Amino acid sequence: MPENQSPDPFEGRLTAALRDTGDRFDTDRAALVAGGQTRGRRARMRRRAGVLGGAAGIALVGVGGALLLPTEDSSGPERSSVASSTTARPSASASPAPFSDDDLLRELKKLLPEGEFSEEGARGTADELGAFAHLVYDDGKGAAAIGISFARVEPGSQQIRELTECPDRTFVEYDDCSTSRLPDGSLLKLYQGYEYPDRRVDTKFWSADLVTSKGQHVTLSEWNSPAQKDAPITRPNPPLSTAQLKEVVTAEVWRRVVDALPENPKQPTKKPAADPLPPGVSGKKIGETLTALLPQKLDVVKQGGQDTEYAYVVVDDGKGQSLVQINVQHGMSDVADQLYGNGETLPDGTRVATRQGNGDDRVAGVVMWTVDTMRPGSDGFRVVVSAFNNGAAHAEPGRATPALTMEQLKEIALSPKWDQLAK
Amino acid sequence: MRQRRADEYAEFAAARAGHLYRSACLLTAGDTHLAEDLVQETLGRLYVRWGRVSRVGNPAAYAQTVLTRAFLAHQRRRSSGERATDVFPDLPGAGDGDASLRLTLLAALARLPAKDRAVIVLRYWEDRSVEQTADVLNVSSAAVRTRCVRALARLRELLGEDLSEYARP
Repeated sequence: MPENQSPDPFEGRLTAALRDTGDRFDTDRAALVAGGQTRGRRARMRRRAGVLGGAAGIALVGVGGALLLPTEDSSGPERSSVASSTTARPSASASPAPFSDDDLLRELKKLLPEGEFSEEGARGTADELGAFAHLVYDDGKGAAAIGISFARVEPGSQQIRELTECPDRTFVEYDDCSTSRLPDGSLLKLYQGYEYPDRRVDTKFWSADLVTSKGQHVTLSEWNSPAQKDAPITRPNPPLSTAQLKEVVTAEVWRRVVDALPENPKQPTKKPAADPLPPGVSGKKIGETLTALLPQKLDVVKQGGQDTEYAYVVVDDGKGQSLVQINVQHGMSDVADQLYGNGETLPDGTRVATRQGNGDDRVAGVVMWTVDTMRPGSDGFRVVVSAFNNGAAHAEPGRATPALTMEQLKEIALSPKWDQLAK
Repeated sequence: MRQRRADEYAEFAAARAGHLYRSACLLTAGDTHLAEDLVQETLGRLYVRWGRVSRVGNPAAYAQTVLTRAFLAHQRRRSSGERATDVFPDLPGAGDGDASLRLTLLAALARLPAKDRAVIVLRYWEDRSVEQTADVLNVSSAAVRTRCVRALARLRELLGEDLSEYARP
């Protein structure tokens, strides 16, 4: 994202930093190309053998890895592309009729209210990169991008919760979101938010996510602009109301589309290793410990975090809300010098750096106070706690300073309770 | 492979190998050996299906998709899938003043779960939209948004809001 399109200074700097860093890497390109070609030739040979060997079925050709790549929640060992390219699949007659790219566009247009269509694009269900259709729709009140995409999810999986739960308002600003269970057992999330969650550009993004009890997942999305990003808005709101989104996304045809997607050949069992998490400290425990360490006079009005390593609370001392966030991380010793170069070292060897600065370049007056600590020892055990003078990322500051003093933050970060968590 | 196609492929591979390698270095947070391996894997896969790839209109984007997926597949194969790389290789130009910042950036990327890192690389290095990123990763746009918000928050934390040395126009 070029900086001039990105009013978020951090994202702009991140882009610059990635370019600056990425561009430093170079290698013997000719060797890479030759190596690639050798691998390709070898795979081709194996593939031919596979076609002959699997005469009863249809040989699955091509980029096996792409087809076999699991959806978000699948688990288990990755099948190698080599294995897939030599595997004969059962005859296609057993699976539901495929939908071509034109089929998907036609079905989508049938379901939309009358209007003009342009910039149509789609991928059919046979394409291993995944099926979708998108177009620009104009009901006479302004051109708007609409997209629909399809996937399978494992019934009962964590992923379903992620797809159908409304986001945490502490970090994502949106206008409306609701999740409901339909009479057939499907879950439906209707979301009205923004293309950029921090609303630095007012492109609206509305969507409907349907997950059926069989794990069929359909996402319908629309914008109030002819493109998701970097196009001026053409109308106050996207064209379809939530009721219309619901009607289109729940159309029966889409379930058949999902059924026609290539089977994920892996049958994950109970997915213990799904989306393997780092062996990090549990976010829940971090949140509990943080809450226990807060000064008594503070009310915790909200809390949340990630599965591991991160938690936050929003506290109120009667003078306004204050977001307090904490990271608890192992194995950070390699960056210790960068983090604590200007800090102090306590008698026990704990390194401490403090920062009091601007907390948000987009929202004026946001103050962020940070105490960053690392315990001595080879583990690089880091506890860094920050407090803000607002109650949510990108929110207007509601008070002059955070609800915790630097001393209090330091006390929290240096508490021996974290060392107990570390064990 | 017919000669014309073979030439086309060779031209494409020669033209894109450098960029793919740089992307791979960011995805792997500086593991140049793994990056080379992934690029060769990617080019090998493209070779096999060049006839079709060359007709899809944007082979460069397709190559990036294959690369990203090869990376994620590799990460899943490793037992410690989302764990950071431990050692940073020599970074060319490591002698100059920005070197420690580059290493810091790579270290920060290494702290992200593999999929979050892929989201960051696709969105901010490859300049892909949320939808395109979702396509590459075979996940919903909602999942990409969630990961992106989370990864940015983490990077802000690790790198500092101002990333000051990069704040040049």
